[in-house]
Amino acid sequence: MDGRRAHDARRYSHEAMHTVFEVYALHPDERYAAQAADAAFALTQRLERDLSRFIANSDISRINRLEAGEATRVGPDTLECLVIARHMFEVTGGAFDISIGTGLSSLDLDEDAFVVRATQPGVRLDLGGIGKGYAVDLMADVLEEWGLHAALVHGGFSSVLALDGPEDGGGWPLTLSDPAAPARVLARLSACQTSLGASGLVKGDHIVDPRTGEPVRGRRAAWVAAPRPATRGQAAADGAPRLAVTAVTDALTTACMVMSVDEIAALCARSPGLEAWVLEDHGQDGPGEAGLRHFGGIDSDGPVALQTGDA
Amino acid sequence: MMTETRASHWAMIGITLMRVLVGWHFMYEGLAKLTADSWSAAGFMKQSRGPFAGFFRWLASDPTMLAYSDTITMWGLTIVGACLILGLFTRLASLGGIGFLLLFYLCNPPFIGYFYTIPSEGSYLIVNKNLVELGALIVIFATGSGKFAGLDRIVHGLWVRKPRLAAA
Amino acid sequence: MAGEDGKDKAAPAAAEGQRKLDRRDVLMGLSTVPALGLFGYAWRKQNQVKQAAAQAAVAPREAAAAGDVKEVNVALLGAGAQGQVLTEAMQRIPGLRFRAVCDIWTEYNQRRVVNTLKRYGHEVNGYVDYREMLDKEPAIEAVIIATPDFWHAEHAIACLKAGKHVYCEKEMSNTLEGARNMVLAARETGKLLQIGHQRRSNPRYIHCHDKLLREANLLGRIVTVNGQWNRAVAADLGAPERYAIPQATLTQFGFKDMHQFRNWRWYKGLGGGPIVDLGSHQLDIYSWFLGSNPTHVTASGGLLYHDPATHEWYDTVMVIFDYMTPAGPAKAYYQTQTTNGSQGYFETFMGDQGTLLISESELNNPGSIYRDPNAPAWDAWIQKGYISAPVVPEEKEEGASGAIADVRESAAPDRHKVPITLTDPYHQPHLQNFFDAVRGKATLNCPAEVGYESAVAVLKVNEAIEANARLAFRPEDFRVGGTA
Repeated sequence: MDGRRAHDARRYSHEAMHTVFEVYALHPDERYAAQAADAAFALTQRLERDLSRFIANSDISRINRLEAGEATRVGPDTLECLVIARHMFEVTGGAFDISIGTGLSSLDLDEDAFVVRATQPGVRLDLGGIGKGYAVDLMADVLEEWGLHAALVHGGFSSVLALDGPEDGGGWPLTLSDPAAPARVLARLSACQTSLGASGLVKGDHIVDPRTGEPVRGRRAAWVAAPRPATRGQAAADGAPRLAVTAVTDALTTACMVMSVDEIAALCARSPGLEAWVLEDHGQDGPGEAGLRHFGGIDSDGPVALQTGDA
Repeated sequence: MMTETRASHWAMIGITLMRVLVGWHFMYEGLAKLTADSWSAAGFMKQSRGPFAGFFRWLASDPTMLAYSDTITMWGLTIVGACLILGLFTRLASLGGIGFLLLFYLCNPPFIGYFYTIPSEGSYLIVNKNLVELGALIVIFATGSGKFAGLDRIVHGLWVRKPRLAAA
Repeated sequence: MAGEDGKDKAAPAAAEGQRKLDRRDVLMGLSTVPALGLFGYAWRKQNQVKQAAAQAAVAPREAAAAGDVKEVNVALLGAGAQGQVLTEAMQRIPGLRFRAVCDIWTEYNQRRVVNTLKRYGHEVNGYVDYREMLDKEPAIEAVIIATPDFWHAEHAIACLKAGKHVYCEKEMSNTLEGARNMVLAARETGKLLQIGHQRRSNPRYIHCHDKLLREANLLGRIVTVNGQWNRAVAADLGAPERYAIPQATLTQFGFKDMHQFRNWRWYKGLGGGPIVDLGSHQLDIYSWFLGSNPTHVTASGGLLYHDPATHEWYDTVMVIFDYMTPAGPAKAYYQTQTTNGSQGYFETFMGDQGTLLISESELNNPGSIYRDPNAPAWDAWIQKGYISAPVVPEEKEEGASGAIADVRESAAPDRHKVPITLTDPYHQPHLQNFFDAVRGKATLNCPAEVGYESAVAVLKVNEAIEANARLAFRPEDFRVGGTA
């Protein structure tokens, strides 16, 4: 998937979390826009310090060291990430699991005291499948605070959030393409106040289904799109947590790489507003047009209400 | 059954000592791997050279086979080692040990022109410590040291009905 | 053969089939079992050694139960970037109750931190004027000061005189006069004043200082020191348009405009530039580890890259300090630059028996100590868990052909890791130390007098650059004597 810039947008980049974050912004004052982008990038540094499991004194590393019965206090952003991750775990029936099968449900999250308690040892968290998306959401909030409304933020092109589109019409032009043949465009979108997540594999790589521990083959790429809620603070009527929408699409694309076609269809069916695409691997024959499946459709009237399935 | 070659008394003491040393080595190798945070033979197998390289690399690449190989190696070394120290089922244990050492040797043979970055001390040309230990196990196997000074002696005494008469 | 005869003689009954085993058989049979016992013993001993080393590895946490600690009422003076970092760190220290936040940027930083603290369950009030805060919040017992350097002296002295204990961010002050008055105020009022050189409470640094240098003297005689803080080019800080501070407020508090408010560190009279912002931490460690203050300083610096219209201080500084340590003379080099971030920040202490490479970062250079080949063996210290066993160089990636020639030019010195991991946010130990001292359970790791010594050394660097000369320190320069 590549993003084409709408003619005047300036582009700022910054490396963090093992990827390159970029801000595309349309603003008359270039210096001001650069400072706004810097303020947004400063967030990624802070989030990496809190969320990285490679940094010994991050919130996540401390959680990974908890023995049964032990607890640790974490920052509000970390806790929000964990709450969203747990919700996604339920919504996808375990296909998205930041603990990769080591027992996410055994963690007790106290949202008022910002405390995480382990009820059993051995839980190992890795927020790679949701951290970048969450960072993108926070960055977008910062840009809006600075008054940059016509902007697009992404992390490594796999977590994308489009704010207002460029003035010359519609939204930001995005394309979905085959990771094995990037020149082949599979779908085009015009994104405005929309989040898009993308997951793709290089040939030969495996992705492991956390529910079974087995590698899953045959899926080459997955994309999930959802509309951005009007204010991030809005909680869904059914009591589901506030949606940091790009964290959600980030998680869902990871889940869609291991979920079966039926499961994805069911998820989109019970979550109006969600849109997903999946590219199957046809092996030596090469992917044909039939390789791309499409589910759901974006309903831009409201935030997506994700429902847990019955299964 | 009782026609194993007998060496002299002092030679048997020497061979028993060697058996205990080899057993200790095996047992420590096995236990150290079992109690380490994570150990896998994958590193060795991926660098396999020589005529069997294809086999070892395949073992390393398949997650199920790799898991079996690792488990069998860790437990096998420990059990062989314990049996050798105790002199219990010595011949069986020796065969097991010979089997492991043969596999290790064939996986990363120190032939001319092969270099590895797996940690190993010493300089070897075709013959390395695995091969030497393998030789030691052959001697242990052939001389029935367990029946001389080891639990095999008790087992043999309890289970064999025939009197233990020396061969003429 | 003799052996067989012996067996025959010893087991005559076996021929009859009645007794299969005689005593000799049993003895010989069990003869090697003790070897197993010996193995078990050796195994246990080895595990004990490993455990001792592992226990040293994780820094001990003061996990006091919430009910055990006396609650301390806290105020935050200065809610900018550093104030927010400190606030986050303090959330993990039990028994703190926030009462007030004071910051002149009401719409942005002040409101943000007030809201964050409210989410954490603290009922805090926001203030613009610190004097008003001290008047209206008599319950405050401790104040955390994270305002710009040129305000430190006034803020700290006022808080001390109002009967509060103070934790003041580094640099103590942008002037020596200010720093001196802070020390005097702390003495007169008898209240605690901790300066924010947080490495002084970092368990890794403490381990290196107390155990590796003072107790084990692993490095031998330290003769040279090297250190740096390299930072890549960063754009000036801006602010969201809608939250601009009214000019009247800015002027009242000493700022020319919003840009200067956000970038005060670069301006003379407000901050001291990168050498003070970044260097003060590490130069403090130099003196601490060497056990003495510098005797001379030579420095060269300039504004080589950034815009002079908005940057008054030097963006590149290279400095050499001379020391007369208890073990003999030493020289230390330090540089800071803001055009390139290569190798980030670290300190290297080089002695005739070893080298210590350390930084605050848990990720890059957390702590390695190298043994000079001529030094005596460090086995005893490894067994005590002071340093790790030598680290085996990591396996290299396989090349395309699968054959890698492991050829080295010369033997690399053994590298040992410093086996301490900090699991808490970087500033937490130092704040914990401050609050422990407030509760009477500890002494400050960086009290005002110690912070003053660092301030003297650091502030002299800018002076040396300006004078373009080698400047000397007198021992009495580092002490604050008598009243102002």
